[in-house]
Amino acid sequence: MIQCQWCHAQNQPGTTSCQTCGAPLDEKDKVSDSGWREAPRLRDMTEFRFSGSTCQVEGELVPVAEIALHPQDGVYFEHHVLLWKDESVPLSSLNTGGGMKRTIGGMPHIVTVANGPGRIAFSRDAPGELVVLPLHPGMELDVREHAFLVASHSIQYSFVRIKGLVNLLHGGSGMYMDRFVTTGYPGMLLLHGNGNVLERTLRPGEKILVEPGGFLYKDSTVQMQAQQMPLKTGLMRHGMYLAEMTGPGRVGIQSMYVHHHAE
Amino acid sequence: MNTYICRYCRQPSDPNSPTCPMCGAPVDIRSVVSDSGWVAQPPIKDMARIQFGQSHVQIAGTTVPTAEFTLAPDDWIYFSHHVLLWTEPQTRLTNMPMRGAWNRKMAGMPLVMVEGRGPGHIALSDNHAGEVVALPLQHNQQIWVREHRFLTATGNVRYDWHPTGIWYTTGSGDDQETHYPMGQYGDVFGAQGGPGLLLLHSPGNTFIRDLRHGQSLLIQPSALLYRDVTVRMALHLEYPRNMGFAFWHSRWSYRSIWVRLFGPGRVAVQSVYAPPEDTEMISSHSYATTHHW
Repeated sequence: MIQCQWCHAQNQPGTTSCQTCGAPLDEKDKVSDSGWREAPRLRDMTEFRFSGSTCQVEGELVPVAEIALHPQDGVYFEHHVLLWKDESVPLSSLNTGGGMKRTIGGMPHIVTVANGPGRIAFSRDAPGELVVLPLHPGMELDVREHAFLVASHSIQYSFVRIKGLVNLLHGGSGMYMDRFVTTGYPGMLLLHGNGNVLERTLRPGEKILVEPGGFLYKDSTVQMQAQQMPLKTGLMRHGMYLAEMTGPGRVGIQSMYVHHHAE
Repeated sequence: MNTYICRYCRQPSDPNSPTCPMCGAPVDIRSVVSDSGWVAQPPIKDMARIQFGQSHVQIAGTTVPTAEFTLAPDDWIYFSHHVLLWTEPQTRLTNMPMRGAWNRKMAGMPLVMVEGRGPGHIALSDNHAGEVVALPLQHNQQIWVREHRFLTATGNVRYDWHPTGIWYTTGSGDDQETHYPMGQYGDVFGAQGGPGLLLLHSPGNTFIRDLRHGQSLLIQPSALLYRDVTVRMALHLEYPRNMGFAFWHSRWSYRSIWVRLFGPGRVAVQSVYAPPEDTEMISSHSYATTHHW
């Protein structure tokens, strides 16, 4: 059996891409000198499975995730990432809760749910890559707002408010983070990272300072705290803020990002 | 004795390495040259390393590549805070003061630079899909770079900035507006006291060309990435022939605003650019050649 270096799933000998996450199995892992691993670049038309459904990734510059849904399966997503669907695929809405707080945070009140059988496809409108994160029961993942593309229905969706006034005002990661939790069954979560995506696993207590706009996802065990750096960024501007990540757990970053606090 | 010269960075290099240790360009590929003589700059290979001093930089990614530095204790780099992606806590970050703060602010250029000093790791990236271009500089070698394309440079690379001298005005009276199609200022970098390394971020793809003495070339002003300081430039205005439409169409709406480059020297262009606005008649301009068809 071949173990996938990205999601650790076992694959039959002779397979060239992981059946669980689509990562190429015949390429060396790309890890930088300081330990950042590139998210696997999914080859055009790569397929992988989750539950009874299949996901095929199309394109490489702004990739599309095309899902063939099994009759018993469903996925949910923010409605503006829907690219196309079979006419027969029913759509419904799921209230995320949070009411006005979500409005203030610029987050959707409702996510859209699509149920099988049928085909449906998703993409976000920026050059980047799809990050496939199979989630096993008990896993909790925090994701930057508006970075999640689609998730299978066995994953619970909630959100956590980013705590602390300094984090809110200067953190640059928004007001809320999406939190994805798996309890009874494994699930599949797809993110869209702008530019290239890199992941690093922090040891307990290990720290790394990340540009807040570059933050993409983290295990919920990783603590995130805005830290003021002793740097000027303009004539009257003092204090550039970076997000201090403290392990243990995984941190994912994107190389193209939006600046919220520096002109 | 090593006689291999990298065809992209023009520095003595190692032919046995898969990538040039000075600029990261692949060694084992054929040069791709267009019929008109533009050489496609190959993207730096994923995870390629470029050596400088006791330190090195590793390029990771291909869509929006990151430059990850492993800095030795005595080595340092400087950059605009906009491009910082991540840093280890032990890497020392301090401000590098810049002269001419008011002029820089007026021109939309970064007012302060950040110095990152080793030992430690630090990574930088820009916000555009494109390529990182590495320019190793020999002692006293200078290069001109269009504004906002600078990613980082090693500590021994001196940074200076000068007016581009390329401008035109539109409107009159209180409505007069001055336009700088390639920016008000250009950056000039020069290595001092030894070789240095300059990294640029080029949106889209990058092409380089050598101009002979006296040879000239017209390009979109915002497409110029860098040029040797021996290459001169001037504005060129081109108006199409009036084909019976209202006269003002050829006076301003359909004009082309170019920069004419004069050799000798090397020039590089990026394939992503923003054409100048072309809605009003030009009332005055810097030195320019003009052509009416």
